[in-house]
Amino acid sequence: MEFLQNLAANLSEQFVATFITEQRYMLFVNGLKTTLIITLSAALLGIVLGFCIAYVRTTYDRTGKMGFLNVLCKVYLSVIRGTPTMIQLLIMYFIIFGSVKIDKVPVAILAFGINSGAYVAEIFRSGIMSIPVGQMEAARSLGLNYTQATWKIILPQAVKNVLPALGNEMIVLLKETSISGYIALQDLTKAGDIIRSRTYSPYFPLLSVALIYLVIVMLMERLLTMMEVRLAQSDR
Amino acid sequence: MKKISRRSVLVAAGMSVVALALTACGSSSTASSSAASGSADAQAITALEDLKGKTVGVQLGTTGDLYMSGEVGGELDIAAVEQYNKAGDAVQALLSNKIDAVCIDDQVAKKFVEANADKLTILDTAYAVEDYAACVSKDRPELTSALNKAIAELKTDGTLDAILDKYINKTEGAAGYVTPDGTEYPNGTLIMATNATFEPYEYIENGAVIGIDAEFAKAICDKLGYELKIEDMEFDSIIPAVQSGKADFGMAGMTVTEERLQNIDFTDSYCTGVQSIIVLK
Repeated sequence: MEFLQNLAANLSEQFVATFITEQRYMLFVNGLKTTLIITLSAALLGIVLGFCIAYVRTTYDRTGKMGFLNVLCKVYLSVIRGTPTMIQLLIMYFIIFGSVKIDKVPVAILAFGINSGAYVAEIFRSGIMSIPVGQMEAARSLGLNYTQATWKIILPQAVKNVLPALGNEMIVLLKETSISGYIALQDLTKAGDIIRSRTYSPYFPLLSVALIYLVIVMLMERLLTMMEVRLAQSDR
Repeated sequence: MKKISRRSVLVAAGMSVVALALTACGSSSTASSSAASGSADAQAITALEDLKGKTVGVQLGTTGDLYMSGEVGGELDIAAVEQYNKAGDAVQALLSNKIDAVCIDDQVAKKFVEANADKLTILDTAYAVEDYAACVSKDRPELTSALNKAIAELKTDGTLDAILDKYINKTEGAAGYVTPDGTEYPNGTLIMATNATFEPYEYIENGAVIGIDAEFAKAICDKLGYELKIEDMEFDSIIPAVQSGKADFGMAGMTVTEERLQNIDFTDSYCTGVQSIIVLK
């Protein structure tokens, strides 16, 4: 109850301090822009990277080829999944790009993309492995080679299976970018933090930031449902 | 057996490729850094006016942040302010040429420059002089006056000077403040909110928060008959924590400013600080 009372207390004053004073709403707008740029680019990088790795891993599992690449992929998966994203981001900024003056957005995209790739790889692999071996055998017996069978028979079915899990990963990725503030990148969360450090009142900045993330995630859920419905049309 | 050994060889090969790639990255970036610092030397910052058009790093929510954010397009006309969560990260960014200067309290600045004496230096001109005080919720004026009374007594009896001798003047054999034997805590506990990344005011050594503020707070609480409990948090969380009652008071080399006074009460000042600008040599 105290929480509600605090919130109601001089509501309009807090609203003005959070959004209007010093044009602070621009911090939210720019922060949101940065968050979206990082998320979209990192998602793209992660999907490309994850797909390549899943392809290598399943090809090795099914045919025994690409053994060396498979080992490299496994090392990558262990290292990336075995360390916290925040540490990876700090390593990327302070060590790998340690002595270069570089724009922070690409650094964050690279760090989050490489991180997401590891999880996407396992999602794609589970999708590909979920297609019964009989599908591959049937395709091969019809005269398609391994690559053709994978692209024309296995992957189209696998994509449908991985969509919910992939959507999950994209949502996690969006929210994970909220640690970008650690390298002084002004994403949506940092925008809220900066305003909070100026107004000394946590309510409006934190709740606004939470609401914006929620709205974006709901939009993403909507988009995913639409894709799932469209892809399910050929099921019957 | 044969298969396993072949695998481990492959793993080792894979690791060394990764290591090689990282080394290559590292060395190439070092190469470009020396080029970058070369160009920085040509236009070294030696006075406040040289900050025009430069990027300055600060710790989020500190007075350095408040001042510098006001200087973007202001009198000093700096290009941008980058707000890091930790002062050390801002200095790290300066060391790796990502920003041009760092604005931070002088004693803290000295510690960072001591640790990187070959690369960093402090501008001679002090940027701003300010008073440090503890903050207390506006709802608890009785606590503020109790703290003020203790602060006044500790100033007169030399305890504060003893602590400053230990941490700032580094007087040989200065013991600072030690809790007298037989001190009792009949009044319960006071929680102090701080951000222990601010040597010599508060920092972590051997797992405990120590420093001027921590030791002075201990002296204050001993005097008032409270047990002291220190909570370490981000700097910009301290005022909200005190406002909401999660902590009883905040002490973190915190400057009294008009904006802060609108949201929180401050005790009498116990220290004077100066904002310094750290730049690359």
